[in-house]
Amino acid sequence: MVKDRNSFIFRLLSTLFVILAINFFLPRMMPGDPFSTTSADEVGEDIIVMTEEQRLYYLNYYGLDRPLHEQFLVYMKNLMKGDLGRSIYYKMPVRDVIMLHLPWTMLVVFGATVISTVSGVVLGTLSAKNRKKGSDKIMMTGMIAFAEIPSFLLGLILLLIFSVYLRLFPLAGAVTPFADYNGPAEQAWDILYHAFLPVVTLSLSQLTGVYLLTRNTLITVTTKDYIRTARAKGLGEKTVWVRHALRNALLPVVTRTGFMIGIMMGGVVLVESVFSYPGLGMTLRSAVVGRDYPLIQGILLIIAVSILICNLLVDKIYGKLDPRVGI
Amino acid sequence: MSLLKINDLKCHYLTDIDTVKAVDGISFEIEDGEILGIVGESGSGKTTVALGIMGLLPENTAISGEILYRDELISSLPEAGMDRFRWKDITIVFQNGLEVMNPVMKVGVQVTEPMIKHLDISPEKVRSKCADLFRTVGLDPKWMDSYPHQLSGGMRQRVLLAMALSCDPKLLILDEVTSALDAFTRKEIRDLLVDLQKKNGYTMLMISHDITFVSSVASRITVMYSGKVVETGPVREILVSPRHPYTRGLVHSTPDIFVYKDLWGIPGDVPAGDEFKGCPFSPRCTQKIDICSKASPVLMPVGGRREIACHRGGIANLLEAKNLNFSYRLPDGEYIQAVDNVSLEVTEGEVLAIVGQTGSGKSTLAHILANVIRPESGEVLFMDGNVSRGNYGNRFNGIQIVFQDPFSSTSNRFTVLDAVKEPLYINKIGSNGDRLQMVKNALELVHLPSTDNFLRKYCGELSGGQRQRVALARAMVMQPKLLIADEITSALDVSTSANVLRLLKGLQNRRGFAMIYISHDLSLTLKIADRIAVMNSGKIVEMGNSHDVMLSPSDEYTKRLVDSRIGLCCHN
Repeated sequence: MVKDRNSFIFRLLSTLFVILAINFFLPRMMPGDPFSTTSADEVGEDIIVMTEEQRLYYLNYYGLDRPLHEQFLVYMKNLMKGDLGRSIYYKMPVRDVIMLHLPWTMLVVFGATVISTVSGVVLGTLSAKNRKKGSDKIMMTGMIAFAEIPSFLLGLILLLIFSVYLRLFPLAGAVTPFADYNGPAEQAWDILYHAFLPVVTLSLSQLTGVYLLTRNTLITVTTKDYIRTARAKGLGEKTVWVRHALRNALLPVVTRTGFMIGIMMGGVVLVESVFSYPGLGMTLRSAVVGRDYPLIQGILLIIAVSILICNLLVDKIYGKLDPRVGI
Repeated sequence: MSLLKINDLKCHYLTDIDTVKAVDGISFEIEDGEILGIVGESGSGKTTVALGIMGLLPENTAISGEILYRDELISSLPEAGMDRFRWKDITIVFQNGLEVMNPVMKVGVQVTEPMIKHLDISPEKVRSKCADLFRTVGLDPKWMDSYPHQLSGGMRQRVLLAMALSCDPKLLILDEVTSALDAFTRKEIRDLLVDLQKKNGYTMLMISHDITFVSSVASRITVMYSGKVVETGPVREILVSPRHPYTRGLVHSTPDIFVYKDLWGIPGDVPAGDEFKGCPFSPRCTQKIDICSKASPVLMPVGGRREIACHRGGIANLLEAKNLNFSYRLPDGEYIQAVDNVSLEVTEGEVLAIVGQTGSGKSTLAHILANVIRPESGEVLFMDGNVSRGNYGNRFNGIQIVFQDPFSSTSNRFTVLDAVKEPLYINKIGSNGDRLQMVKNALELVHLPSTDNFLRKYCGELSGGQRQRVALARAMVMQPKLLIADEITSALDVSTSANVLRLLKGLQNRRGFAMIYISHDLSLTLKIADRIAVMNSGKIVEMGNSHDVMLSPSDEYTKRLVDSRIGLCCHN
């Protein structure tokens, strides 16, 4: 048991190290540096074109002119101390930048996880129960066709329909700017109102996967002997479906949810950009454009760590749900 | 009143490709407190019957006919209506498998689940009742909190049994409960079932391919084949004298019943395709006649609570000998009675061994039966006609005999071709080309080469084993319905005789002819015979099922014969 645990921690740490190394080197392999950027992200922003002297000064100031391995060592050392460095663009600690934007991304990702999982399971169950009937076939064809639409395109379509034409939802942002709320309920409502379209877009991008998995697993499960046994016991259709079939069919769905969060952490970058939603994704995008190395590193690290944590949680939960897996 | 009554039940699985008639018009009844066994090979539709009674057949099944439980029609009930009967009245113990129980639910919970649903009972009571059930089936209640994958096969089978007993049902259906268990557990489960039945008077429907297990518990047996009932009757009668060829095949391939005999399954397969109108067993049957492939036989009572579905009324007699007598005149003028008032029967496809010491009259009897010599009195009927008048040695599907000594029965000066062709030539059967083909086929049957080179060989050039096989080929070329093998291995060494014997038995099993095997070698006889007749001084002193005769001989002479076998040094 102790040995298992040690090897597990070793695996975790080595994974983390590889991720850190990639996070560090990948941004630096991109052409350009934080001070030679010529493109501006925000319209109307002043483009400060630096002289070569200024550029070298700043490179020296941020330590970017030192050999790569030295930079890496410094980065690692600071990381051990919990210091993620300073954002070149925001001119403030990376940690603060992340803390500022992480909650929005978490809201969108977790909201989308819950919504896509719950609705996927419900729809999958309905489809499986009506198997070989028209409703199942229509639902399945629709879902598969739907899954082919990329999430950013879907986001654009939703944005156009609901925000531009119907004006039901805001075009951008996470809250109404300069709003004066009468109590937390109104504030919460405003937040949900802004998060709605991004969450829906992200949910829809994952829905088909959950739906198909639930449907197909349920169909397989219902042919199992234990379902026949449950039927034979005269427990009634509802108990047979919920306690025996769905309970077993949800096992792979749980595993999938873990992976899904990882996929969504990537997908959220595009979705947030479409809706100009001030989450980590948008921040990452501007950090990449501005070659803000410390910020890129910090955000990628947070994403990687959260994926690792999710997988860890899924393993734990799975162990609790399936007694055959001894964790 | 019968507890369960099934009328003309048909369950056809409809697939995209074809229709599988898993159960095709069966009817039976189970009395209150009775144990009925249904036996049959896998695929005979036994489990479908069980699932049909429980209303658990898949959606693509076309079901017709009636299932009555206490005179209430349950076969057409909807799912919810069926739930009234499930588990409270009728339960099923499924065949043990890893997934027969919910893998993520504790076994105790799975046992109590139906109690909570069907019985008006408090949660605390449920748990203690579950513990009682576990003890009843011989399981420690501590296992209640484990998951199915943590239990052994035998334990799971016990949990399944406990589960089935949880609501105190009237009718218990047991589907292959022992097939996956080792011998010890099998016996324990059997004893448990017998015990439970005695104590609680459960009515049971026991479904299994394990005829030994079923017969040790059930009082009546129904034999199913290809979705139909072919024979039904009291256990003892079915085992001792099966009337349907299929039942006989099943009994004969059961090692527990024929302990010493080599295992030979029933050759052939169930007819495929739903167009087949005839008796489903006919492609494998050794006694089929024209009607068998045209119409399906109905189950008819044949007396003694037995019923059988066969156009020929069950296993038919192939040969019947009545009061045969024959004596030889000795040089001193005295007569010696070689065959003394012998009567016997050989049924279709069976192997009857006639054993006895040298001089007991075996060979004389064989010669009379083969119409080689005429009896002084008595008659031999072959296929209901008289042998001597019918000349059943001269035609196809008749009687052929293979003699003891291949060196005298085949001429040294004949080539192999001539020796095997001889009966065809004498009886003017076929053209020369046909004959050559028939000879080649016969030689292949007996595993001899059919090359021109071998055909041109003289019999004198062959070894003993080869010559005996040539003699066998000569008999086989006439495609006999009955082959009389008179001490055919006694002139051969052990290994050769084993080969010849296995060849012979294999041929018999595959081609389905009946055989009279005459020998003084008891050990060999036991390997192949279904029935044994013991001869002494011209009389048949004992005749019966081969293992009965050998294991518990009743006649003094048989006992002596059995005891006279010389054991190996270490056997005493």
